[in-house]
Amino acid sequence: MTRLIEGLFDKYRHSFEEGGSLHWAWPMFEGAETFWLTPPHRTHQGAHVRDPMDMKRLMIFVVYALIPPMLVGMWNIGHQAYLAEGNAAATLVDCVLRGAIAMLPIIFVSYTAGGIAELLFCVVRKHEINEGFLVTGLIFPLTLAPSTPLWIVALAVIFGVVIGKEVFGGVGMNILNPALTARAFVFFAYPKVISGAGVWDVADKAKVIDGYTGATPLLTVSSAAPGTDPVAALNQAGWTWMDMFIGRIPGSMAEVSAAACLVGGLFLVMVGIASWRIMLGCVAGLGMITLVFNAFAGPEASAALALPFHYHLVIGGFAYGAIFMATDPVSAAATNAGRWMYGIGIGALAGLIRVVNPAYPEGMMLAILFMNVFAPLLDYFVVQRSARRRVARLAAQGV
Amino acid sequence: MSGAPERWTMSLHVLKKGLDVPIAGEVTGNIVDLPVPASVSVAPRDLPGITPRILSREGASVKVGTALFADKAQPDLRLVSAAAGEVREIVRGPRRVVLDHVVSVTGDAAESFRQWDLGALKKISRDEARIGLGHGGLWPVLRCRPLDKVPTMGSTPQWILVSATETGPLAPGADLLLGAGDGEALQAGLYVLKALTPGAVAVAVPQGTTHPALANLKDVDVHQFGGPHPSGDPSVQINHIAPPKGNGQVWYARAWDVALIGRLFLEGRYPAQRVYTAAGTGLAAPRAVRTLCGAPIRTITGDAAPGPVRWILGSVLTGQVVDPERWAGFTNRMFTVIPDRAERRLFGWTAPNLGDFSYHRAFLSGFLGAGGRKVMDTGLRGGVRSMVPVGYYRGVVATPDIEPEFLFRSIIAGDLEESVKLGLLDLSMEEAALLTYVCPSKIEFDVILRDGLALYEKEA
Repeated sequence: MTRLIEGLFDKYRHSFEEGGSLHWAWPMFEGAETFWLTPPHRTHQGAHVRDPMDMKRLMIFVVYALIPPMLVGMWNIGHQAYLAEGNAAATLVDCVLRGAIAMLPIIFVSYTAGGIAELLFCVVRKHEINEGFLVTGLIFPLTLAPSTPLWIVALAVIFGVVIGKEVFGGVGMNILNPALTARAFVFFAYPKVISGAGVWDVADKAKVIDGYTGATPLLTVSSAAPGTDPVAALNQAGWTWMDMFIGRIPGSMAEVSAAACLVGGLFLVMVGIASWRIMLGCVAGLGMITLVFNAFAGPEASAALALPFHYHLVIGGFAYGAIFMATDPVSAAATNAGRWMYGIGIGALAGLIRVVNPAYPEGMMLAILFMNVFAPLLDYFVVQRSARRRVARLAAQGV
Repeated sequence: MSGAPERWTMSLHVLKKGLDVPIAGEVTGNIVDLPVPASVSVAPRDLPGITPRILSREGASVKVGTALFADKAQPDLRLVSAAAGEVREIVRGPRRVVLDHVVSVTGDAAESFRQWDLGALKKISRDEARIGLGHGGLWPVLRCRPLDKVPTMGSTPQWILVSATETGPLAPGADLLLGAGDGEALQAGLYVLKALTPGAVAVAVPQGTTHPALANLKDVDVHQFGGPHPSGDPSVQINHIAPPKGNGQVWYARAWDVALIGRLFLEGRYPAQRVYTAAGTGLAAPRAVRTLCGAPIRTITGDAAPGPVRWILGSVLTGQVVDPERWAGFTNRMFTVIPDRAERRLFGWTAPNLGDFSYHRAFLSGFLGAGGRKVMDTGLRGGVRSMVPVGYYRGVVATPDIEPEFLFRSIIAGDLEESVKLGLLDLSMEEAALLTYVCPSKIEFDVILRDGLALYEKEA
């Protein structure tokens, strides 16, 4: 089998190599070949043997980790739609199918439009197709509302790939997380498709029953009357903590289920790809700021101040952001101490924006982008500290 | 060059970071005594810092211990013949660089050097030690961090490390290279080295060693080293014991080479025998042999396995490619021969690769443990990408307080001042090679480090 495929690629290789008629399409050929077979290169300098781990495997494992939140999200889109239409008889399969019809075109458009942009850069720059896009092209659409128009998806993902990544020189060189750059583009350019109460379900508007608001838990909390108990407001809207943990709530497609994100996160930590320091840092930062806010909660104060820590963890995009977005190794801090500070900064800022900023109830995206910008500075301090410690140790130990 | 340090007590260093690459093809069986080879050579190739000035030209007849060439700048630093016979050929490369100085072997007559007894060596003077080593052809077993060059005879090290440990993949250690009866010779060599430094001579031994030659060392500090590779690397050990202060130097040598020094001084004759190993799955039968220093490589390695193979002088991590038709090196005692191909695998980006070793937990073998030694070929095993700092790098760097990503970025940027500050002179080549091995982006950190050190040497 391996020999057969190898022979097939070898047969056509010359057309795509330097001087061949299809040389411009070399990145496509290389991409297709390395999908089937590991590359044929041998070491020619440096260590003679190499570990089998490569970027393709690293990126594809992130995609695997995204499958649980994606599947739960798919089911929830259908579930929310049937709920809005007052259809209690919908089965699991009905829900998943209806969710798939809404979600898959968005993912497909994201991969196609972003992939074409990526490929153009590869062809012009003559480098291999970068598998990092497999992650960006999936992480980004899953943060959108299920009703997002496809042309906005396409526009945003191209913006994310080009402005978020390629203008810096591709994966590894970028400062911001490209998926978040794309999402920020949607948020600032087309705020109506990603905020408010009407966008989080794909229910037939004519069938929506009386009393269904379509508001997300975050919106419910931020619009509760001052002095009221935010937990009671959530319960009144029909959601227990467990509902929000599992993901039976309106929200972005795959952000709704903290439980499914946790499964993906555990997998990523287990295979050693995402930083648990960043994830725990986010939780710690959010915890700290929430405790401070809780202390200021009172009858006159905004209801959001009183929301307990464990509710913050399961609503909005916190879990998804902390596990999949903040841990992007390129835009995150790269030192261990830096990762803690970066995570804590994200958690604290996300809490701050959620509770204090009345214009937009979700702060995770902006918090991560903000800390992306600061990550190099955090690393700088950590690296300088290491260097000072080294010099001091050398002075102390030297003969 | 400050005063003598206080004595270190016997201490144990167990390093946690690092990686033992479980490559198959270990040396098995006893050391094979080879018949006398037809020719031997001294190759300046593995003597960095020495520029040869030929003393014995083609046709000259030489004895064991006759000087073949000296360093251009230091006439007392000589390399000597390991056999008696006639200088057959001086092989030169581009720009007339000497590649091999070949002697055809016809007898075993030997030059005699001054003979010492162990008691007298205790009180040998610095000059007697220097000239004895220089004329006896064994000065170049000494090396100096960070560029691993042969130190100049006029300089003085702060202290000297003698390392009896070896942790590199398939690399031979004290069990093969140091004979059970080498204890006295090693002790004599240590006395000679003690005369070269105002500081201490420290011996690094494997944790829990029972080697008889390492059991009763006197007048030296003993440090035990344990843990994965590179815990056996002298550079890493120097950083854990006492790194050089200021612009000073710390020298190092291997214990088996120091035992040769001892034999030279005790016997008054150049010790020409060496143990070499040939390992790797590219060989028909990996083995250890005893032969003359600088014997033809093929006599040491025996036949290669069928198929294309790569001949490496040294280990798969830091060795260099050699032509098997040439001769063995002066200090490097190992050859590794591995299949030179990139075996292609279906769906490498997701297959569990059960029969494969990986450092990474994204492979079942990395997750569950290696499960024995594996055949490794020269495949790059992935596409070259930009550095993505996932955090794997820190796990294989045993030198403390190094942030590998940032050190290497500063080297790539050519920022010499910053890279020295971040540890350019501290990180060992073995660690850089391990970084290259584990890197999912297939970045060649060892090549970058070598370039950085070359730039440092040029500027400094």
